Amino acid sequence: MGDLGARLAAGGTELVAEEGLRGYVVSRRWFGGRARDPLQAHVVDCVPMPPGPRPLAIALVEVRYPSGTHDVYQTVLGVRGEAGKVPIGGAGGEELYDALEDGTCAPALLDALHREAVLTSPGGSTVRFTRVDGHDVDPDAPARPLGADQSNSAIVAGEGVLLKAYRRLHAGMNPELEVLRFLEEHGFRHAPSLIGWWEHANGPLEATLGVAVRFLRGAADGFTMALDALGTDPSAAVPRLRRLGEVTGRLHATLASDAQDPRFAPEEPSAEMIVLAQASLDDEIVDLFSTLVEHEHLSDLAARVEEVRSRVRLVEPAGDLGLRIRQHGDYHLGQALWHEGDWVLIDFEGEPARDIGERRRKRLPLRDVAGMLRSISYAAWVARLERGTVVSDAWEEEARAAFLDGYLRVVEPLRILPALRESTRRLLDLFELEKAVYELRYELGHRPEWAAIPAAGIAALLGREGP
Amino acid sequence: MTDATRPAEPGGQAPGRWFESDPNWFKTAIFYEVLIRGFHDGNGDGVGDLRGLTEKLDYLQWLGVDCIWLLPMYPSPLRDGGYDISDFYSVHPDYGTVEDLREFIAQAHERGMRVIADLVMNHTSSEHPWFQEARSSPKSPKRDWYVWSHTDQRYKDARIIFVDTETSNWTWDPVAGAYYWHRFFSHQPDLNYDNPEVQEEMLRVLRFWLDLGLDGFRLDAVPYLFEREGTSCENLLETHAYLKRVRREIDELYPDRVLLAEANQWPEDVVHYFGIGDECHMAFQFPVMPRMFMGLRREDATPIVEILDTTPAIPDGCQWGLFLRNHDELTLEMVTDEERDYMYAEYAMDPRMKLNLGIRRRLAPLLENGHDEARLMLAILFSLPGSPVLYYGDEIGMGDNVFLGDRDGVRTPMQWTGDRNGGFSRADFAQLYLPPLMDPVFGYQAVNVEAQLRNPSSLLRWLQRFVAMRKEHPVFGLGSYEALRPSNHRIFAHLRRYEADTILCVHNMARSAQAVELDLSRFEGLVPYELFGGARFPRIGELPYLLTPGPRGFLWFELREDDDG
Repeated sequence: MGDLGARLAAGGTELVAEEGLRGYVVSRRWFGGRARDPLQAHVVDCVPMPPGPRPLAIALVEVRYPSGTHDVYQTVLGVRGEAGKVPIGGAGGEELYDALEDGTCAPALLDALHREAVLTSPGGSTVRFTRVDGHDVDPDAPARPLGADQSNSAIVAGEGVLLKAYRRLHAGMNPELEVLRFLEEHGFRHAPSLIGWWEHANGPLEATLGVAVRFLRGAADGFTMALDALGTDPSAAVPRLRRLGEVTGRLHATLASDAQDPRFAPEEPSAEMIVLAQASLDDEIVDLFSTLVEHEHLSDLAARVEEVRSRVRLVEPAGDLGLRIRQHGDYHLGQALWHEGDWVLIDFEGEPARDIGERRRKRLPLRDVAGMLRSISYAAWVARLERGTVVSDAWEEEARAAFLDGYLRVVEPLRILPALRESTRRLLDLFELEKAVYELRYELGHRPEWAAIPAAGIAALLGREGP
Repeated sequence: MTDATRPAEPGGQAPGRWFESDPNWFKTAIFYEVLIRGFHDGNGDGVGDLRGLTEKLDYLQWLGVDCIWLLPMYPSPLRDGGYDISDFYSVHPDYGTVEDLREFIAQAHERGMRVIADLVMNHTSSEHPWFQEARSSPKSPKRDWYVWSHTDQRYKDARIIFVDTETSNWTWDPVAGAYYWHRFFSHQPDLNYDNPEVQEEMLRVLRFWLDLGLDGFRLDAVPYLFEREGTSCENLLETHAYLKRVRREIDELYPDRVLLAEANQWPEDVVHYFGIGDECHMAFQFPVMPRMFMGLRREDATPIVEILDTTPAIPDGCQWGLFLRNHDELTLEMVTDEERDYMYAEYAMDPRMKLNLGIRRRLAPLLENGHDEARLMLAILFSLPGSPVLYYGDEIGMGDNVFLGDRDGVRTPMQWTGDRNGGFSRADFAQLYLPPLMDPVFGYQAVNVEAQLRNPSSLLRWLQRFVAMRKEHPVFGLGSYEALRPSNHRIFAHLRRYEADTILCVHNMARSAQAVELDLSRFEGLVPYELFGGARFPRIGELPYLLTPGPRGFLWFELREDDDG
């Protein structure tokens, strides 16, 4: 082992030139900041993993923005003797790389989970691995990275373990860990079993670094399934969406089932809750729509800014609003897997860009529902735009109705929804609009060619019967 | 499954769990001062309580509050708003229980907000069992916990603070057969810090609340802990030595907590409460506040610039607490007599508005409900080196009631909605601890949170956006301050710099639009981007930079390289 490897194995934080680390971080999909900012990146904490074929260490990288604010990201740094994909930097014939990216850290993570290891850095920070009773992992299982995800990195090990490492870290317990444990303890069958997790402490922040869950081989995600169905037999998707509504209802029923656990006990909404949401959404609309003029194909929507705002302002749900509960938090068709004839829901971490406090907040369950309704609309539009499929408006209506029907049938007897269906409808309108506005911002920033989808969604909502 | 990593209790005990470790967190924090009694009534008995406050945490989180400062929540006969504590280890039954407070703190932490509480170290209520025991007999083990004398002629050089109600700092106690020492009301006997038992006991009190999860204390009336003949009995070396001991104890056992000193003194005396970074983390900047009001009325930035010029540098790791108004009167102790006369004439036309050496009014009435004035004053507050402290209700421009006694006029119920009791309580009106404001201008039907949330141009909505913007620029809490001193003295212009961030703040104190030329030549080539809207202003050249802020207007800029290359 050369000097770079030795430094990493010793938990050093001065590893490669700052530009290398910076360049690596900003090039990643999980990086949430603006790459054009002249930011800095450095390792602030480095916890070596036990000696193996290659030196490895769990490292927290702090990205500092010009104004002096910062974010923290997780990497598992490795040192290799040969050149490989996406190097971070090199010295003396050795190369530093991110072993989460190519999955080469999987044996070390699995081994640590198997042994429930507690790793310690020279500075005293720790990474603790915990395994759920009755589960084990095989450190020698072959592993491969599961590409695709935006906000975290996943590795599949062997036949049935998914290691999911969070990239952007926030202080506090990740809601995914909290929710998965709760669901399992309360007998919910439509989520993957939790095998274990690992977390950081005594350093710059306490945070959940990752979870290990059962990997569902051969499962198809709901979004892909809907697209496929639209190309062949659109009506085939409808009963499955009705079933998804039922499963969603059971999810909410379970999350609302324990009045003794203050983290999950349903709560009465405060008097300001809806008005606060409306105020935030109104600011977001003003801010976002002021940028729409730069996009010619969105000028029709840009001109309707006051209409959108008044639509938000006018929602005044009558009577009680139901209860606030913990929920999925980032709910869409891609978070539902069709596996062995039923749905399994995944990814309970909430929207990774928001801080933990916000993600853990109890909200009206209709927010999750609105997320899924928007996703159904997305499926129809993506089928049209990407695959050239002809999708009738009636399909979207039918699919929405089926999902809602399945959901309401399970949830309505539980008294967590507003007493009046009319209030439910108004709240759904509000939350769908909110979701569509956030989608519009996201698409403009990431996939401008898809901005037409939320734009059409907003227009459709405006066309619906008013509040 | 091991239990070691479960959140042991709701939210967990260690406040650190929900925060990045940062010993300087308070430097970039927005503080929000809450009167529990007046914020929200959770149990419908007419008095605000911890449960009610907990229900409003989402609101405070939305507003962008980083740290909630609780006014005293201890058992108390409430003859001085709870600053007359009768039990240091419990919660006033009106507000709930210690468990309710623990739950409130946990819930605040989970939302990323910290909580500090007032602590009065200097004195107790005369109803405190310690005092009752002390007065009962000269042989009582608690006798020496207070300051007794057979004459009222000792420590004559100590001023009387509550000049409206007290004639001496000594009061005869017929039960004890002796005079006892009190710097504030006669029902608040001073503890005797020359007694090591008192010193130990107060450390125990601190540990008790820190163990419960509190993130620190606002230390009330710290200058007066010790007495020495021939001195003013304020700011004594012994007092500082004890505070340093408190700090050592906290540093050793409780990371990332804060001690905020209330020392209403001139800045050159206040800085001693920072020690060399080994005493209090924060202290209030008292004198700048009256001068902001003075500058506004005179349409002149000079009073603000001058007081900041005379404010000494403070050690690393320390921070000023800045405020416009708080639960007390707008104190005019730290101004000259002439300035005080001016302030009374301008801001307390009605003699009822005066109290002791101050003016008992809220922010909005002081500014005659001027919206531009409120925004300008908040902008200046947010621009100065320090951490801003907002007083509950001022974010919606609540009014006051000068017909209520003492400082109750600025402690009326928070106005949440236009409904009954302003949404503060479900109790009968007659049960409320104080009547809510009902006048046509400031009453709850005109001024309330709900209405302002619905109005995009309200003070509340504006302030929320302003807080969010300030958070993106740690420079306001961490950066250097440099006054620009333009020839137009109606303009308060200054620079804040931290790391790569350079912010130019320009405030027009005048009721009329003004033109100002600023020497920015050292930034030649950079471009000012307005911070709220992001508008690009003309590139800075060699010549003086011309700006024309509107009446009571302000402009904040980020100076940076031209985005367009």
